[in-house]
Amino acid sequence: MKTTADLSCRVYKFLLIAYPSAFRREYGHEMQQVFRDCYRDEARRNQLAGYWLRTLIDLVLTATKEHSEKLRKDHTIMSTRDIVSIVGCAAIIVIAFALLSYGRAHEVASILAFGRVLDAIVTTGITGNFIIFLLVKTTRWHSLRIALWTFVVVHAVLLIVIAIIGPQVETQFRFGPIMLAHFLSFLFWFGLHWAWHLSTRQLLYK
Amino acid sequence: MAKNRSPDDFLPLTPAAFHILLALADRERHGYDIMREVDERTEGKIRMGPGTLYGSIKRMLSDGLVEELDERPDRELDDERRRYYRLTDFGYRVATAEAERLAQLVKAAKKKKLLSART
Repeated sequence: MKTTADLSCRVYKFLLIAYPSAFRREYGHEMQQVFRDCYRDEARRNQLAGYWLRTLIDLVLTATKEHSEKLRKDHTIMSTRDIVSIVGCAAIIVIAFALLSYGRAHEVASILAFGRVLDAIVTTGITGNFIIFLLVKTTRWHSLRIALWTFVVVHAVLLIVIAIIGPQVETQFRFGPIMLAHFLSFLFWFGLHWAWHLSTRQLLYK
Repeated sequence: MAKNRSPDDFLPLTPAAFHILLALADRERHGYDIMREVDERTEGKIRMGPGTLYGSIKRMLSDGLVEELDERPDRELDDERRRYYRLTDFGYRVATAEAERLAQLVKAAKKKKLLSART
């Protein structure tokens, strides 16, 4: 009986994963304790099947409720942040693109000196920020970690593509300045996400 | 959280919330004790699951209807990791308001002869 009870408690502990992590952290231990106490009572009454059924129904209904409550709460906190960050990123990309276009059209040397950096900021900014937005919305991973790895991968992939295609398109292709530009672009975008993350954290804990 | 709010703002309470407030009306209890009290009082008709119990407690804590005790009342007898809850003054007023609301309903049901006058 003890083994069955232990196994049941372990199964219930595992099932608690259905709840939002904050709820689980706050009440998970107590819920397990209550489950164990009730299990003991129901075993004495010989009504374990009914107890498991009731517990599973309770788990499905209340986990859904806790998640929908959390989503509602997150939505109100996130909406302003989302808009500010999307508009901010879009503005940076548009400004970089406009500067680059202007510099190329009018052959402004001071702008063209940063041409490759601006190029990298625009291309990696569009792809990277789009991927980050999708991942933040659909996964539970830490947003700063998502930003770090997305920009690492996006910059690396673009560098590989440029390294393969570049020599075929340009006869005097030099990989060094492009690598430096992508490194600066990585520092720029990740630095921006890091600063944004810090400012949001300060706002939330004020 | 309960600041500037009237007990009527919380009515009607969910059955689970009212049963929890009833269980805590006479003394502080931990989660399992609340469940056992509800089970005994309703003769097994209401059996809350852990999710319903702690989901309701979470909301009632944030609404200021119940509070967690810092001290364990029966420290020697019990697992010290258990958390005990008690009614706040505001929670007591909300429970009273809900009981009065239900009493009004019972009165109306009696008037319509849905219940005998003796019950």
